[in-house]
Amino acid sequence: MSNHLALRSGNPALQSSTFRNHLSSTSDGAMTLSGTVNKTALSLILVILSAGYSWTNPAMHGLVVPAAIIGFVLALVTIFKPTLGHITVPAYALAQGVFLGVISMIFNAKYPGIVVQAVFLTFGTLGALLLAYMSGLIKATENFKLGIVAATGGIAILYFINFVMGFFGSGISVISSNDTMGILFSGVVVVIAALNLVLDFDFIEEGAEMGAPKYMEWYGAFGLLVTLIWLYLEILRLLAKLSSRR
Amino acid sequence: MENPAIILWIPIILLSVASILKLLKKGDPNGQPWIRIEKVEENE
Repeated sequence: MSNHLALRSGNPALQSSTFRNHLSSTSDGAMTLSGTVNKTALSLILVILSAGYSWTNPAMHGLVVPAAIIGFVLALVTIFKPTLGHITVPAYALAQGVFLGVISMIFNAKYPGIVVQAVFLTFGTLGALLLAYMSGLIKATENFKLGIVAATGGIAILYFINFVMGFFGSGISVISSNDTMGILFSGVVVVIAALNLVLDFDFIEEGAEMGAPKYMEWYGAFGLLVTLIWLYLEILRLLAKLSSRR
Repeated sequence: MENPAIILWIPIILLSVASILKLLKKGDPNGQPWIRIEKVEENE
């Protein structure tokens, strides 16, 4: 097991030690692929319902910042206490849904139709990468994982610096600008976010193969959900940049 | 461009087609793997 390469992910929720830390505590069955798929589908339905509700109810718009903070806290709880996944992951999905609903509404008001395109592109990317993973066209090799983890870390650092610079009225222009460099940057970020899905598939498959405990199904679903939400937001940003140049 | 989303669909479609071709090739008993890593014998 020590030289198995599957246990490394760019997703902060899916770290190498995650399964090893929980293998011995199996009590009520083992993690399965179908169980994880069902929990991912349920979480996505919760995100969509919550997003739809917050989009159509102006009273929810003031909750965008609290929802983002609650989502962040629930994500941390899920990462550090995966046994609570059956509670924290659906709650995380609902909180993120509120956040995504309001953000999507703002983008759609500025660029009509952009949200539908972003949703279809996100699920299209998920389907295409799932097909590529199942066919063996894309394999999560050691070098592939190293590259994606490094690139994801780089993006995270860049976003953090941009966040801190925001307090001083400044920022990294390439992240938000709609010039050629800004669009290229967003394109690269979308590709990196999409390739993180491959690491998530690999993590879930490995968990099922290793007989991880049943509650890790929620954890696998959570990892996939985090990546999908990130991918959706990046596609939305890229489409907004492209639309603003028209 | 009228609809910028069209550009983003191109890699998704190409990836899907390549994956389907790979899956079809897997089912073919005479199909060769795309990448061969193992050592090739001299008289093979």
